Amino acid sequence: MLLIQFLNALQFSMTLFLLAVGLTIIFGLMKIVNLAHGSLYMIGAYVGLSIWSYCDSFWLAFIFAPLVTALVGAFLYFVLFRHIQNADPMRQVLLTFGLIYIGLDSVRMIWGTMSHSISAPDVLSNSIILISEPYPSYRLFVIFVGFFVLICLYFILEKTIIGAKVRASVDDPETAKLLKINTDKILFYTFSLGCGLAGLAGITVAPILGVEPGMDMEVLVLTLIVVVVGGPGSLKGALIGALLIGFVDSFGKVYMPQLAQIIIYAVMALTLLFRPDGLYKR
Amino acid sequence: MKLEINNISKSYGSVNVLENINIFSDKKECIGIIGPNGAGKSTLFKIISGIIKQDNGLVEFNKKNINNYSVEQRSRLGISQSFQKNSLFLEMTVKESLMLASSHKYKISFNLFKPLIANNLIIKNAIKIAKDIGLEDYLEVKSEFLAYGLQRQLELGIAIACSPKLLLLDEPTAGMSPAETKDIIKLIKKLSKDYSIIIVEHDMEVIYNLANNIYVLDRGRLVFEGSPSAVKKSKLVQKIYLGI
Amino acid sequence: MRAVNYNPKLRLQIMIILVSLLVIFNIFGGYFTRFFIAEIAILSIFAISLDFIASRGGMVSLGHAMFLGIGAYSTAILSINYGIPPFYTTFLSIIIGLLIALFIGYFIVLLDGIFFIMVTLALGEMFHAWVFTSELLGGSDGIPGIMRPSLTFIGFDLNEPLIFSFYSIFWLIIAYYFIAKITDAPLGRNLDAIRQNTSRVSAIGGYTKAYKAIAFSISAGIASLAGSLYVQLNGFISPELTHWTVSGEGLIMIIVGGIGSVSGAILGASVVHIIQHELSNIISWWMFIIGFGFILVVLFMQDGLWGLIERIKKKFG
Repeated sequence: MLLIQFLNALQFSMTLFLLAVGLTIIFGLMKIVNLAHGSLYMIGAYVGLSIWSYCDSFWLAFIFAPLVTALVGAFLYFVLFRHIQNADPMRQVLLTFGLIYIGLDSVRMIWGTMSHSISAPDVLSNSIILISEPYPSYRLFVIFVGFFVLICLYFILEKTIIGAKVRASVDDPETAKLLKINTDKILFYTFSLGCGLAGLAGITVAPILGVEPGMDMEVLVLTLIVVVVGGPGSLKGALIGALLIGFVDSFGKVYMPQLAQIIIYAVMALTLLFRPDGLYKR
Repeated sequence: MKLEINNISKSYGSVNVLENINIFSDKKECIGIIGPNGAGKSTLFKIISGIIKQDNGLVEFNKKNINNYSVEQRSRLGISQSFQKNSLFLEMTVKESLMLASSHKYKISFNLFKPLIANNLIIKNAIKIAKDIGLEDYLEVKSEFLAYGLQRQLELGIAIACSPKLLLLDEPTAGMSPAETKDIIKLIKKLSKDYSIIIVEHDMEVIYNLANNIYVLDRGRLVFEGSPSAVKKSKLVQKIYLGI
Repeated sequence: MRAVNYNPKLRLQIMIILVSLLVIFNIFGGYFTRFFIAEIAILSIFAISLDFIASRGGMVSLGHAMFLGIGAYSTAILSINYGIPPFYTTFLSIIIGLLIALFIGYFIVLLDGIFFIMVTLALGEMFHAWVFTSELLGGSDGIPGIMRPSLTFIGFDLNEPLIFSFYSIFWLIIAYYFIAKITDAPLGRNLDAIRQNTSRVSAIGGYTKAYKAIAFSISAGIASLAGSLYVQLNGFISPELTHWTVSGEGLIMIIVGGIGSVSGAILGASVVHIIQHELSNIISWWMFIIGFGFILVVLFMQDGLWGLIERIKKKFG
C-alpha cells in the first residue's frame, strides 16, 4: 500500500514538476510570471484531445500537442512579450493575466464547455505488478516523462554550449550581449520551450485528470506555490519544490484529509517566512 | 555624533573583502574613505549604513552598539545616507520628496488627520532644504524631469531632510561632469558646517577638498590615515593608486 | 509600477460627478436599474480597496475576493447563527476582515510585488476551495436568508430597492472619504513613496513593514464592507463570490479606472460592470473581449480613464 501511495505522490510531483519547470524557466529568463501558464497547459490538453479524436492515436497527440503549444507560445512572444520586455514587471504580469481570459474563452469557443477524456494508449492501459500490487502503467509513464524531461534539461543547461548561453543570459544579460550571445533568440526559444513544456504536461496528464475548462486555474495555483517554494528561476528548485508539495499534498490527502489543503499553504507560509526567495536561488 | 568602527571584517567565501577596519568619527568633521577599485569601500559603506552585516567587529554610534540595527532603525538614530545610484521618488516633485523625508523628522508619519501637503511646518522645512541644496527654483518639478546633476542634489536633499546627525555619502559625484562636480563640492562643503559627514569617494580631488581626515583602503585593509596634505605626500598612497 | 498623478482636486471633482450620476439614476430608474446601481456602488467600494493597496504600497492582490468572502460570510453567520442585528454585522465584518488581514499581512507585505501577486492568488484560491467544501459555510449551496439592516426607526425601509441603493451609495461615500483622507495624510504619502522606492523609504527611517501591514488591513476591512453589503443586497451568499474571476475583475476595474486615483476606481467599476453586463447579454465570448480590452488598456492607457480625463482637462482647461 505504501508503495502505491509513494508512486501516486511521485506521479503527482512529476506532473507539478513539468508545469513548474516551464514557468520557472520563463521567470528566470524574462523575469515575467506568466499567469497564463495554466492556460497553455489547458491548450496542450485540448489540442491533444483533438489530435487523439481525429487521428485515433495517443502518440501523435503526445508528440504534436506540446509542439502546437510551443507555437502558441512563439506567437505570443512575437506579438506581445517581445515588445514589453523592458516594461515594468508588474504590467507584464497584468498582461499575462489578461491572456487567461482570452485563453479560457478561446477554448470554450472552439471546444465547448463539456468535459472530455482521453484514453491512455493500449500499450500503457494495463497494470504492472509491483511487489504483488498492481499499478497502472500509465502512471509510471508519467513519472518516466517527468524524469526524462528533468535529465534532458539538466544535460542541456549544464553540459552544452547552448545551455551555457542560456545561463549567461539569465545571470547577466548585458555581458552576454557583449559576448555576442544573441539574447533575443535565446529568450524566444526558451520562452517557446517553457510554453511547450506546459502543453506537454497537459497532454501527459489528460488521460488521468481529464480535459475540461477550468483546468487552467486548478493547476496554476499549485504550480505557483511550487515555484514560490522552490525558488523562481531554479531548475533544482522546481524539482525539490514539486517533490515537496506533491508528497505533502498526496500523503496529506490520505492521512489527514481535512488538513491537506492547509498544509500546503503552511509549507508556503513557512518558506516565505524563513527563505523569502525560495529554497533555491537561481 | 560619534561613530566608531571597531575591527570590522567581512569575507565572501574565501575572499577577505574587509579586514580589521577601524574608523573613528567625532564632532562635526568630514571623513573621507578612499581606495582603488575593489578596495572594499562599497562594502564598508554598506556595513555602516546597515545594508549588509559584517562578520566580525563592532559598529558603535554614540556609544551604542548598532550591529543588529536595520537600515530603518539606524536612520531613526540619526544616520542618513545618500546613494551612489540615484534613489529618488521619481513621480514626486522636489517639494513633495523633501516634505516626505521631513515627515519622519517630525515623527508625524502615522498621523491620519492632517494632509501632508497642508502641514506648514513641513512645508517650511522642505523649502529651507531646497534652498540649502540649490533647488528652490525647481520645487514644483517632478524628480524624473530633473537633469542628472540636479537629481544628485535632490539625492543629497532627501538625505538631509530627516535632520540626521551623521551623513553617509556614497560617491556623491558619481557620473557628474566637472562643472556639476564643482557645484556638489560647494554644496557638501556648506553641509559640513552643519553635519558630520563620511564620504566614500573615488575622485581624489573631491576628497582633498572636503575631508579633514582621510582613511585609505587597499584590498580590504586600512593602509593609511591622515590629513589631505599627508595623504598627498604619502608615497604609499601613490603606489597604491598608480601602481608604481 | 506607475500610478496616476497626485491630484486631490480632480479626484474630488470626478467623485462628485460619479456619485451624482449614481443618485440620479437611482431616483429615476426602475427596479433593475436600482439593483444595478447598488451593485455598482458595492463594486466601487471593492475597487477602492484594491486600488488602495496597489497604489499605496505597491501591493497588487489577485486574491482580494477572499475578503469579500470574509465580509460576506461573517455577515451571514453573525446574523443567522448568532442573531446579531444586520446593521451591526457590517461593522463586525469589517473588523474581522481587518484582523485576519493583519495576521496574513505580517507574513506577506514585505514580499516583492510579483511574489505578492502569486501568494495572494494562492491564498484566494485556498479560501475559495475551503468555502466551497465547508459544511459550516453551506458548501456549494451557500447560505440563504440574509436580512437587510432595519433602519425603520429612522424611517428608512432598506427592503425598498431605492433606499438600499442609497444606503450603498452612502457607504461608498464613507469609504471614499476615509481612503482619500489616508491618502493625503503622511501615512498615505509614505505608502505612495514605498510603491515608488521602498528601500529609500527605509533609508529615511520609515516603518515600511508597519505601513504596508496597516494599508493591507484597511484595504481588507473595506473589501469586507463591500462583501457585507453585497450579501445584504442579494439576500444570500454563493461561494462563487470568492472565485478568482471576481478578484480579476476588481483588478481590471482599477486599471481601467486608473491606479491610484481613488475616484478612478469608482469610474472603472462603473464602466467595467456596465460593459460586462451588456456584453454578456449579447455574446457568449465576452470574457475574451474583456481580456483583450484589458490587455489594450495595460499596453496603451497606462493611467486609465482618469488619466484620459486629466489630459482632456489640460487641453481644454
